[in-house]
Amino acid sequence: MNDTGDTGDGTGFDGPPGDHGADFGDTDFDGADFDDGLLEEELRQAAGVLDPLPSALLQIAVDAYALHDLDARVAELTFDSLVDGIPVRGATDAPRMLTFSAGEVTLDVEVGPQGLLGQVLPPQSARIEVLGGPQTAATLTADDMGRFTADTPLSGPFALRLRAGGDVVVTEWLRA
Amino acid sequence: MRIGIGPSAAYDDVPYTRGGTVERSEVGALVRSAVDGDAAAWKAIVEGLGPLVWSVVRAHRLSDADAHEVYQTVWFRFAQHLGRIREPEKTGSWLASTARHECLKVHRNARRLMLTDDPQLLDRVSEDGAPEQSLLEAEEAAAQSERVRRLWQEFEELGERCRQLLRVLIASPPPSYQEVSAALDIAVGSIGPLRQRCLRRLRARLEARGSM
Repeated sequence: MNDTGDTGDGTGFDGPPGDHGADFGDTDFDGADFDDGLLEEELRQAAGVLDPLPSALLQIAVDAYALHDLDARVAELTFDSLVDGIPVRGATDAPRMLTFSAGEVTLDVEVGPQGLLGQVLPPQSARIEVLGGPQTAATLTADDMGRFTADTPLSGPFALRLRAGGDVVVTEWLRA
Repeated sequence: MRIGIGPSAAYDDVPYTRGGTVERSEVGALVRSAVDGDAAAWKAIVEGLGPLVWSVVRAHRLSDADAHEVYQTVWFRFAQHLGRIREPEKTGSWLASTARHECLKVHRNARRLMLTDDPQLLDRVSEDGAPEQSLLEAEEAAAQSERVRRLWQEFEELGERCRQLLRVLIASPPPSYQEVSAALDIAVGSIGPLRQRCLRRLRARLEARGSM
């Protein structure tokens, strides 16, 4: 209020967007710029106090190094009904459909409130681990037709690790 | 832990060169070391860029539970892609962009499912804020704490665009404009002018409340 030059009341800066460039080097502008830096820094410290990265999350990310697996191939997400799907009228609680591909191996997965329904292509029996993080895993088996199911609903981050033949394929991490 | 003593030291020497360039220049080398099995390098990456990922998630106004899960998903996927990151020096942008995409998916999903928890976190104080807590309780810190609270409240009540941009910018150490661009899908060239406008709008709000 005491400095009409840079009260930054919003409207004052709604002029031509490029015009501040001409002010560069002007002392008023430098002063305002300096104040912006201070305010941003003050806000940064406020965030550090009121909304910091929880230490538990920091630790989980540190532990995630264990998920670094050079031997496995990553099956990339090639279809996600949440992003690519065309909403069907009336089908608001349809299961989420996901497709992962790594070379010739494809995994189709349906994630619903009841759990997981999946299909390995080409059809083959396989051992499938449902990963929930660096520590947790549940094991499933795909039958000769490549079908597999899990009765526990997925929650949080997950990935599927598939062992078929001598091959290990891990799906891209997603949030259920 | 990292708050209180840590944050200022990291960028005191680079006050207004945007982008914590000092720390960021090492990211490429750290990623290459982590690929080669160096767990300490991985930890340094997490400590350097974890706050950025958190800021991006927070900028998207998710519930606490969603925010935590998105944060984890981003790091799990980064660990998984570690050996395949094409430009290791741009890891910050990769993380920011991945976080953004996961946040947008949460919003899409939320349209289908009813949200049960409240994403508004105006008066929330961090759960694991023990070191700050004792500081804030100290008699002489009361005024400062009130100022911080008011600043945060005005910040939370800024328009959505400004709140989002500033929430990413105030990650600690400060992100580069490339990272901010990846986090919010806005052109690098527009970040400076928007930042200026948003900070001045915030200052105007504080002044109107007599808080400056």
